[in-house]
Amino acid sequence: MHMQVEETAVEPVRLFRINTGSCNGCDVELAVTSAVTEFDVEQLGCRYTESAREADVVLITGPLTVRARDEVLRLYAATPRDKVTVAIGVCPVSGGVFRDSYAVDGPLERHLPVDVNVPGCPPRPQALLAGISEALAIREARRAGVEPSRKPKQGKRPNADNFPARGRLSFDAGACVDCRMCRHVCAAGAIRFQEGEDGVRLTLWHNSCVFCGLCCHYCPTGALSVTGDWRLDHPASDTFRQVERGEIPYAPCSGCGESIVPAAPQLLHAAFRRPNPEIEKLATLCPACRQVMSIGAPRR
Amino acid sequence: MTDCAETMPERNNLLRDNLPTTPLSPRERVPEGRVRDAFEDGVAAALALAAGEETTVTWRRDRKGVVTGWCRLPSGEALLPAARAVAELNGRLAMVTPYLPERAREKGEREIAYHFDLDGATLTLTVILPLQWARVPSLTPIFRNCDWHERELMELYDVQVVGHPDPRRLFLDHTLPNAPFERLVPYSTFTNAATGKALWDKVLAGEREDA
Amino acid sequence: MTTKIIELGPHQLALEEPMYFRVRLEGDRVADLDVMPGQVHRGMEHLVMRRNLYQNITLLERLCSLCSNSHPSTFCTAVEEVAGIVIPPRAEYLRAVADEIKRIASHLFCCAVQANAIGEIPLFRRVMEIREIMQRAKEAIYGNRMDLAANVIGGVRYDLTPEAVAYLYQAMEDMKKPLDELYLQFANNPALMARMAWVGVLPREAAVECAVVGPVARACGIDYDVRKKSPYGAYDRLDFEVATQTAGDVRARNLVRLAEARQSVSLIEQCLAQLPAGPLCADTLPEIPAGEAIAKSEAPRGELMYYLRTDGSDFPVRLKWRVPSYMNWDALKVMLKGEPVANIPLIVNSIDPCIACTDR
Repeated sequence: MHMQVEETAVEPVRLFRINTGSCNGCDVELAVTSAVTEFDVEQLGCRYTESAREADVVLITGPLTVRARDEVLRLYAATPRDKVTVAIGVCPVSGGVFRDSYAVDGPLERHLPVDVNVPGCPPRPQALLAGISEALAIREARRAGVEPSRKPKQGKRPNADNFPARGRLSFDAGACVDCRMCRHVCAAGAIRFQEGEDGVRLTLWHNSCVFCGLCCHYCPTGALSVTGDWRLDHPASDTFRQVERGEIPYAPCSGCGESIVPAAPQLLHAAFRRPNPEIEKLATLCPACRQVMSIGAPRR
Repeated sequence: MTDCAETMPERNNLLRDNLPTTPLSPRERVPEGRVRDAFEDGVAAALALAAGEETTVTWRRDRKGVVTGWCRLPSGEALLPAARAVAELNGRLAMVTPYLPERAREKGEREIAYHFDLDGATLTLTVILPLQWARVPSLTPIFRNCDWHERELMELYDVQVVGHPDPRRLFLDHTLPNAPFERLVPYSTFTNAATGKALWDKVLAGEREDA
Repeated sequence: MTTKIIELGPHQLALEEPMYFRVRLEGDRVADLDVMPGQVHRGMEHLVMRRNLYQNITLLERLCSLCSNSHPSTFCTAVEEVAGIVIPPRAEYLRAVADEIKRIASHLFCCAVQANAIGEIPLFRRVMEIREIMQRAKEAIYGNRMDLAANVIGGVRYDLTPEAVAYLYQAMEDMKKPLDELYLQFANNPALMARMAWVGVLPREAAVECAVVGPVARACGIDYDVRKKSPYGAYDRLDFEVATQTAGDVRARNLVRLAEARQSVSLIEQCLAQLPAGPLCADTLPEIPAGEAIAKSEAPRGELMYYLRTDGSDFPVRLKWRVPSYMNWDALKVMLKGEPVANIPLIVNSIDPCIACTDR
């Protein structure tokens, strides 16, 4: 948020909102950025406008419904050519929980170009301001005729605090037992498992995730956890790189040598509280060998 | 925990002091069940009188004493008189649920559940209709607020509502085909999760690039 | 007198969400209107049948962010009813806390939007600032300012530590004076009276005929609140009065909301005081048998009803719900009749219309 406020204070940058059929979460939070002093867009030298023709920055919410499409495209066409477009929340980017509905015509990118994404469901006002700042930086760069500077976005950013806001998800592959409950409960289809040569890979896409944390709630070993890192805004060119991933390596079964996903110590602790060495042996056995160890060889 | 059975009579006394009660009010959920039975019997009798003697209501009461009544109407023709009887009992139309029940296609049947509020109790009248060429009479002339429920029912399902005063589409965009809820099986012929797949292909392709 | 048809959209109506009206004017007065919903139709009742019961907890919370907790909690109640699950007492109270926090924030947002609609910008900002106390509390306790993620099948998935209880007590204390002041302001301030009293009147008989619910009904003297009529969760052990008014105008609707917001503060305090110890959830992964059930709750906008039908699998055969806003649009025809065009945005916002809820 290193805006040159003095420069823009003279002529405010005008923000124009388009709701493409959202649950109103992002819209209500945007209303906060015009009503509540702490989060007022004025601090960025911005002001909201009701006129599409005045838009310097267009803020778009919602998954783009079939019914809203024509009006959205009409409004967008009325905005100036040099505006910067920001997708607010994950809905415009991926449809979020509404993806693949008969009544949804997103993602927005199919219909118009987006410059900045602000993931969140909804993003907190601080995140909205961060996203708008990013749009302002792009706008300045374009006006100066230079490429917008691209800072590396790896890892936790300095701005991220430890506030208990549900932000970026974190995956600890060492604790994962490949039960896939996280994928089962994920309403937004944000988690994928892929079986490879050497292990199983989990990929969680933050532009689809709605940060509800249900995956973490049902994860038996705590392999998935919600972090307080809410700074997820990024240039749209990085849309598909916003992932958390990890590979759960296969190990040979200590009985027969077949490739298996060994049970994580966290699972044994969850299941047995205090696993003894006998129980710990189970961790590295395939289901068939475990059966043999527990009840002897299955009889025909 | 405070057992709710202990606290409920007290609450009911409180209410009884404050509220004038009508003879058929389910508010009078007294512990011994005497007055409540009168309410349940009254509703059942009114429905039997209107929709035919074979009309029966199954009552369920939850742990908090909230009553739900379930009634499967003997025929489609019984809907209108039954609805009128509910209106006579000062029932309020609360919701209309059309659905394709389990094994709908095998049995060639569909159902519509009409949910009414009777001062806190919920009465559900269910009509069973043929899967093909289903028709129901409009209840909008009896319950003004049935209007949108029926307009929605007509656009989402292949059901004709006879006598609806304003049968235009309501929520569905004009470019969408009618009756999307009829196309439950198989999903793949309707929306095959194409958007999700296309997006994930890009996410996973990006990963390979990075790797 | 000349008859004219005009079309009004979200920008003219000062709405946060897209909704369109076709209004017939006789001279400069409203004679009739046609409400044209659908802009936010996301096909959600279809989507829920393609998602399992767990996914639907999160999906339904995204139905509408203003009453977002009411949807998963009522849906979970329906699932629990089908499965015969009795949720732990602590979970009942924690669901009530979440619902009441949302009610306060929702009611205040509605009052703020109306202040904005009549150009009372300082009041709009003031109400939004008061609402921030609740927004901060939601984020501190639940991790998000709109979507609380509080419910699971069988109970809740958040707890209140002693520190969180103390924090919430303080937040409730901070709400009391501002809410009392707001009530007096909406009741007596001459500028607000001039715009809101005897405006957008819905007579009681019309309210009954239209079958309106929630604060819109209670402002017409209809003493109906699901928390009293069909008690659920912790409400049979909480002490509160149903807030009613009789005038049926814009002012009355706001007074009901502000009285309820104040009462929610008391309800939350009662919950914190009575909060029983014990588990948060009955069973992590219960079997859900075939069956059908109805669950109801008093969402911020009024009676919310869910119908769930299951076949023993993880996917609902049918999940249908009716939001309170759905019942209240029709009454606008009565409220707006004879009103000048300038009053339309205020009156429309005075029913606290939720379009995301209506369109699904």
